Amino acid sequence: MDYVININNLSKSYGNTQALKNITLQVPKGQIFGLLGPSGSGKTTMIKTLTGELKKTTGEIQVLSMAEEQLSTPNYKAKIGVLSDNSALYERLSIYDNLKLTCKLYDVSLNEIDTILEKVNLIDDKKKVVSKLSKGMKQRVMLARTLIHKPDLLFLDEPTSALDPGNVDKIHQILRELNEEGTTIFLSTHNMEEATNLCDCVGLLYKGIIQEMDHPDHLRYQHSTNQFEVETHDGELIKIENKPENSGQIEQLIASGRVKRMYTDDPTLGEVFLKVTGKDLGS
Amino acid sequence: MNTKRVLAIFEKDIKDFFKNTSLIIMPIVPIFLAIFYNALFDDFIPLFTIFIIIGMVFAGVTSYCIMIMMAEEKEKNTLRTLMMSPASFLDIIVGKSLVATVMTVLTLLISLLILDFYHIFNIQTILGSVLSLLFFILLGIGIGLFAKSVATASVYIMPIIFIFGFSPMFDLFGLEEGHFVNVIFDNLPVSLLMHTSEDGSWMALILITIWVVVAYLFALFSYNKNKNDD
Ligand SMILES: Nc1ncnc2c1ncn2[C@@H]1O[C@H](COP(=O)(O)OP(=O)(O)OP(=O)(O)O)[C@@H](O)[C@H]1O
Ligand SMILES: [Mg+2]
Repeated sequence: MDYVININNLSKSYGNTQALKNITLQVPKGQIFGLLGPSGSGKTTMIKTLTGELKKTTGEIQVLSMAEEQLSTPNYKAKIGVLSDNSALYERLSIYDNLKLTCKLYDVSLNEIDTILEKVNLIDDKKKVVSKLSKGMKQRVMLARTLIHKPDLLFLDEPTSALDPGNVDKIHQILRELNEEGTTIFLSTHNMEEATNLCDCVGLLYKGIIQEMDHPDHLRYQHSTNQFEVETHDGELIKIENKPENSGQIEQLIASGRVKRMYTDDPTLGEVFLKVTGKDLGS
Repeated sequence: MNTKRVLAIFEKDIKDFFKNTSLIIMPIVPIFLAIFYNALFDDFIPLFTIFIIIGMVFAGVTSYCIMIMMAEEKEKNTLRTLMMSPASFLDIIVGKSLVATVMTVLTLLISLLILDFYHIFNIQTILGSVLSLLFFILLGIGIGLFAKSVATASVYIMPIIFIFGFSPMFDLFGLEEGHFVNVIFDNLPVSLLMHTSEDGSWMALILITIWVVVAYLFALFSYNKNKNDD
């Protein structure tokens, strides 16, 4: 299999603080991989080690078939796009001038500016000065800047944190389209909905350890108690285990006309996280 | 170094320069001073006043400009995005130095035109000016990288302007010949530059070169201090 990211037994320490512990993971080409974890769990550290900004302590890293020593070369940098959790734009310059700089640094035709601004829905604002933009608009400009050279691999550190739902949806839509065109995406988030809606594979990161890793739906099913919950009109809550031999009981309940609502109790990713780590994602 | 990337950074920074009021005001100060001196002294303008203007341009325009540009990229975190692009650190530094150089040369030329002081330039002074430019650029880079924010960088620049920019003025303090304060200020780059103009001293030129090396080492130190995230 063709892995874009291949990490083996990676650890990273800052002095005495061990931020990442024995991480092993593979990201195949075309996947959207999400690191889900609360503040301080090591998300930024993980991304920075992969982008070549931080040196690992032990283990092996290979990204886009390049070894760690090559991760600081212009060749590697031209192939990846990085949107970090504290990226910024030149506030006094226009959207266009900000992107023009990126085009020239990456050797991209200036015609791409209109194309990408079309994509992030900012084409009518291109002459606007960045300091006059809203937070969501700035984030979309930064995303455009990260994408304009058509990277093979995209690193996004909490790309939608502190944005309103409308802007989050816009950004998710752009990322999905991009992924359909073949870009592999590695993102971090502390938002379980983002991980559930967007990712093909989620790693639950806590205290520098990937506790579990799978497709978000699989993670949820695995931790499901595998029960139907039936709420009746008279307020009773009946739990029925999801097994073939119980189908008769369910049929009877439905036939009796007592059923108000019926649902499976698959947990959210947040609940899975809490169950696995004992820690709430939000805190 | 990649010319295309250097020019891209130059273009971005020069646009930004003209939109940044705290930078754009700096070349205006020595130009106003030139106009003032021109009105004050009818035909003979004392040499040290001319070199005070030159010192103000080097410290207040060259060093200040590059220092603020570096510190701001650091503070606002745009430097990280630049470093994650295929541009090298050298591309970034050279692009910014070009902006500082263009603004320095423009300011010097305008002041020269106003004060009519071409006669002070001999070959040693011209070479010395190029070396001084290099010294003040490196000094600005060093402070810009050393400081954590634009605000702290602006504080550090004050003594730089007074000590390195105004060094020819210390002759006026009437300290006796050979007093250590005089010796020190006499051997700062702008004072040395004045000596090249007074007597075509090659020794002064060598001393300026030593200053360039010192500034280079300082810039390198600041760079290394900055390089690692952990
Ligand atoms: N430069 C540093 N020096 C020392 N320790 C650090 C440094 N950067 C991060 N750490 C520590 O490493 C651990 C992981 O931090 P990291 O920034 O990777 O977390 P994160 O998951 O990105 O958090 P957040 O959601 O708040 O961004 C934390 O314990 C943090 O204190
Ligand atoms: Mg982080």
